[in-house]
Amino acid sequence: MEEFEAFLNDGGIVEAPDDMPDEYRDAVFTFIEMHANSELMGGLTERDWIPKTPGLRHKMSVVAKTQDEIGHGHLLYMVAADMGVKTRTEMLEDLFDGKSRFHNVFHYQAKTWGDQVAIAFLVDAAALASQQAVFKNCSYGPYRRILKRIISEEGFHMRLGEDRMMRIANGSQVQRDLFQDAINRWFWPSLQLFGPDSKPNDKLLRWHIKSERNEVLRDAWVQKFVPLLQSYGFTIPAPDMKFDETTNRWDVGPIDWEPLKATLAQGGPDSARRISEALSNWQQTAWVREALDAPAPEIAAMT
Amino acid sequence: MSTKQLIDIEPINAAVASVDDPEYPGLSIVDLGLVETCNITDDGHVTIELVPTFTGCPALNVIADDVRNAVAAINGVNDVSVNWLLSPTWTTERVSEEGKAVLADQFTVAVQIGSTVSGCPRCGGPLADESMFGPSRCRSVSRCAACTETIEVMRA
Repeated sequence: MEEFEAFLNDGGIVEAPDDMPDEYRDAVFTFIEMHANSELMGGLTERDWIPKTPGLRHKMSVVAKTQDEIGHGHLLYMVAADMGVKTRTEMLEDLFDGKSRFHNVFHYQAKTWGDQVAIAFLVDAAALASQQAVFKNCSYGPYRRILKRIISEEGFHMRLGEDRMMRIANGSQVQRDLFQDAINRWFWPSLQLFGPDSKPNDKLLRWHIKSERNEVLRDAWVQKFVPLLQSYGFTIPAPDMKFDETTNRWDVGPIDWEPLKATLAQGGPDSARRISEALSNWQQTAWVREALDAPAPEIAAMT
Repeated sequence: MSTKQLIDIEPINAAVASVDDPEYPGLSIVDLGLVETCNITDDGHVTIELVPTFTGCPALNVIADDVRNAVAAINGVNDVSVNWLLSPTWTTERVSEEGKAVLADQFTVAVQIGSTVSGCPRCGGPLADESMFGPSRCRSVSRCAACTETIEVMRA
């Protein structure tokens, strides 16, 4: 392990066929699996909104985002399966059985279009910041190369999120109220997405899977989005929030981590419905996978 | 008094070429083959005709905004109109050699022209189809038979 850590510290990149310590393999695999699960669950949330999205302009972006997220999940499941820990089917079964994790923000329900704007604006920014911090210095080559593609597309989603936010913020009072309600619901889950402060000996940092501490990323998000939302006349649902004149920084006050822990144990407000919806979607689309996997003569016989 | 200012097409072309595809930062829309025509009248009206990779592409507004902003910043340009054409249709044959190199080197993305797919951007090995559905209508997913890399393939 010492030799392996020295290799990583020298900027060494691990490829799929390479030898690697089991602890490293498990840590990278679990990380990619959670990312893949989150893309799939996020894509399904987005899909729910295709018929409900107002206007063709936003509808096109929701359709495309759905395909992007599902496509990202697809790529990530391939990269994860290549590590030889679980097959893709095993990963999906574990997801549907509540045995593996996905990001906290997908354990909540997106009730209104305001929620969708908040997700695209606040949550996507938090997810993108986390992914960028992994991409910057990730020691596992296949993941790093796929992340480059994913980050470029998530960066584009940010622009769609800004477009949604600008339109709702410059809209009627009803629209602005809808968005304020959504901020009240999504501010804390977005912030909790970064996780609690990194432990001093965090394996993900030590093995160059992540390159930045959770609290640093979380603080950067706060310093960007608190003043931005305020500049559009929205309020932040943090009663103990203070502005420090000497450092010129916002402090949101104490963070309650209980909601995050609940989601990680599949006990979030919408966890059960989300997971059962993902399972029934998987079952309903079985015929598509069977048709695609069928050898050519069978396809000819079907038509 | 009004003086008619004639401006060159070159800076306009350069401004259009400076716009990158929003999903491939570093890949110019010219190299991606999106730009069909680019014209300017004597009194500074610029018309740019673009071809979408597919009509439902969600990036159309963003790309048009970026082109408009880049061109409007040029001295002597009065107004800019950006039109998306329904014909001709975009195919991967419109991607320039420079564009293919950026896709391969920067994004590990291969390009399919007709039924021919370029080799693995990492090792040159043959690609095996994994799924016809990628993260976008214009992409599918393959795996390199030699180095096992997961590869996105740009397709028409």
